Amino acid sequence: MELFLMSLINGIMVGGVYALVALGWVLIYKCSGVLNLAMGELTLIGAYVTLTFYQAGIPFVLSIVCTLIIGIILGILVERIFLDKLIGEPILAVIMVTVGLSFFFKGLIEFIWGTNTRVYAPPIFPLEPITIGFVKISNVYLWSFILAILLFVIFAAFFKYSHWGLAMQATADDETAALSLGVSARFVYAGAWAIAFMSAGVGGALLGNINGINISVGYLGLLVLPAVVLGGLNSIPGAILGGITVGVLQNLSGAYLDQYFPGGVKEVFPFAFMAVFLLFKPYGFWGWERIERM
Amino acid sequence: MSHVWLPCGLYHQEYTQDHGWWQTPLIKGKMIFLLAIIFIIFPLTLTGYWFGVANMVGYTALGALGVQILIGYAGLITLGHAAFIAVGAYTSTLLILQFPWPNFFINWGLAYPISIIIAGIIAGLWSVLFGLPSAKVKGFYLILTTMAAQFITVDFILTQYISQIGGRGQAFSLPPGTIKIGPWIIDSEIKTYFLMATLLTLCVVIVANLLRSKVGRAWIAIRDNDIAAETLGINIIWYKLLNFYVAGFIAGLAGAFWVSNTAALSPEHFPWFWSLWLVGVILIGGVGSIHGVIFGSIFMVLVMELIQLGVISLSDVFPELMIKFLYIKESVFGLIICAFLIFQPRGLSYRWWQIKNYFNLWPFSY
Repeated sequence: MELFLMSLINGIMVGGVYALVALGWVLIYKCSGVLNLAMGELTLIGAYVTLTFYQAGIPFVLSIVCTLIIGIILGILVERIFLDKLIGEPILAVIMVTVGLSFFFKGLIEFIWGTNTRVYAPPIFPLEPITIGFVKISNVYLWSFILAILLFVIFAAFFKYSHWGLAMQATADDETAALSLGVSARFVYAGAWAIAFMSAGVGGALLGNINGINISVGYLGLLVLPAVVLGGLNSIPGAILGGITVGVLQNLSGAYLDQYFPGGVKEVFPFAFMAVFLLFKPYGFWGWERIERM
Repeated sequence: MSHVWLPCGLYHQEYTQDHGWWQTPLIKGKMIFLLAIIFIIFPLTLTGYWFGVANMVGYTALGALGVQILIGYAGLITLGHAAFIAVGAYTSTLLILQFPWPNFFINWGLAYPISIIIAGIIAGLWSVLFGLPSAKVKGFYLILTTMAAQFITVDFILTQYISQIGGRGQAFSLPPGTIKIGPWIIDSEIKTYFLMATLLTLCVVIVANLLRSKVGRAWIAIRDNDIAAETLGINIIWYKLLNFYVAGFIAGLAGAFWVSNTAALSPEHFPWFWSLWLVGVILIGGVGSIHGVIFGSIFMVLVMELIQLGVISLSDVFPELMIKFLYIKESVFGLIICAFLIFQPRGLSYRWWQIKNYFNLWPFSY
């Protein structure tokens, strides 16, 4: 029972960070229809940029703010250079451009920062776990979760109260109607990519706290795909719940199934679950359904 | 494939001439010349290094042929093809090493050819297993299931279970002399080259003829609009699964060929990067044409060789370039794909088609 509760709570906390990354992915898909397979490398960029700022002596929260600013700039640049010319092309071309981008970023990051595992030194969060009842929660997970929730609240406020947030919601809902009202679709696409870079960047910085920063953090960014499939490609609450579910699935499978399949079931289980889930409910829990009998 | 015009003044008078594959005497001459180059002239004039390059081109082309059948001809986007190549390679290796062949087979050198065919069959069946979701999902969701196929097969099943057979740990090593076809032992690059050329020619001929037949037309119909294809009476689930099987079979052949190319086999030879590389080869060569497979493979391998030569010559000035060569390779791959998709989305085979038609229609091309 204790193992179950601990895995569950750890899973929810890590899932909060996955949910943040999934939020960026769903936003790109809703606003522009682009299926972004470069999410892993966006988290890597955020993690390494935050690390560089932190090692230059800037306190952690300020480093995250700097990462956000760099994320905005990079998002707008990427959208302008690579994705503007692909509006209207078949889906395979768009996906492969994001794949090409992911390889380009990955090669660039490995080139600049190398492949050794880096850690935040001095450690940001205290190393002893907090004990609530009989469950020990490590500080890293707890503060990552709180920071992720904080960013959710900021994004929700942006979408609800600011001019550009409302414009993005309108474009995600019905692009032609938004265009007729004078919303510039290209600005909205650039904004969607900027927010994705930001959320993935913060997610990467937080995930890098857990096990050190190296290239495998990018693989954690790939886990956003099962998360959005579970929640539905088109829905933002679905992304949040999908992210939390993937975190919980990972930790529970790691805790219970590791004895039957030695080593490595933790990474593969969300994908296997997703593959089976796709057979029964391909549109996720909250996605928009296209009724099409084959 | 877009229409290739006949040269001016050439008319066919019988249906058999119209159905023919090589429709003018000039094309027949060119193709026979090409076959002569591949089978006779190259082995006599190339050195050992270029045989390695040619083997890499052939291996890439065999893998990309399977991906082209899936993506270019049936519209089933796949990002997990390296898993099926891995299944073929491991089946072939395990059959050679672990199966108790009677002495008759070993003496006559029949073990490896039989293992190639069985590897193809098993890889095809494995591919059908992961193609079953295509009966229910398509587009992006199919991409995710094939990605799941890649991770589950290579990272989980092969790494955890199959590599442990025989207690060897992670990699299977094939002692030289175990791979024999008939009386020849395949242990040098030139013999691997002949094996590659034979396999590639056979596969290209088989696939091209498959595409001219009823099966190929059904696939193209499914690619263009699968609901309309079903209203015409094509059983799309059957043809999709058949497509997965053929693509998996060719992947199995590619994997079994790879076995003769390396001295040891491990799951690290088949990462997700390789699946994406094959899709990139297709996109650069041109989706939907067999020429595209060959052009894409040649282009990608030659570009990588050129980068390697460039890095080696620059390594006196920037010594870290040699160490970081893999990262340069990845970023250049990404940039090439983005550049081709932005500026030349129809690939190299489209340029080839334009040049051919220019000469065929001269002086009337406008």
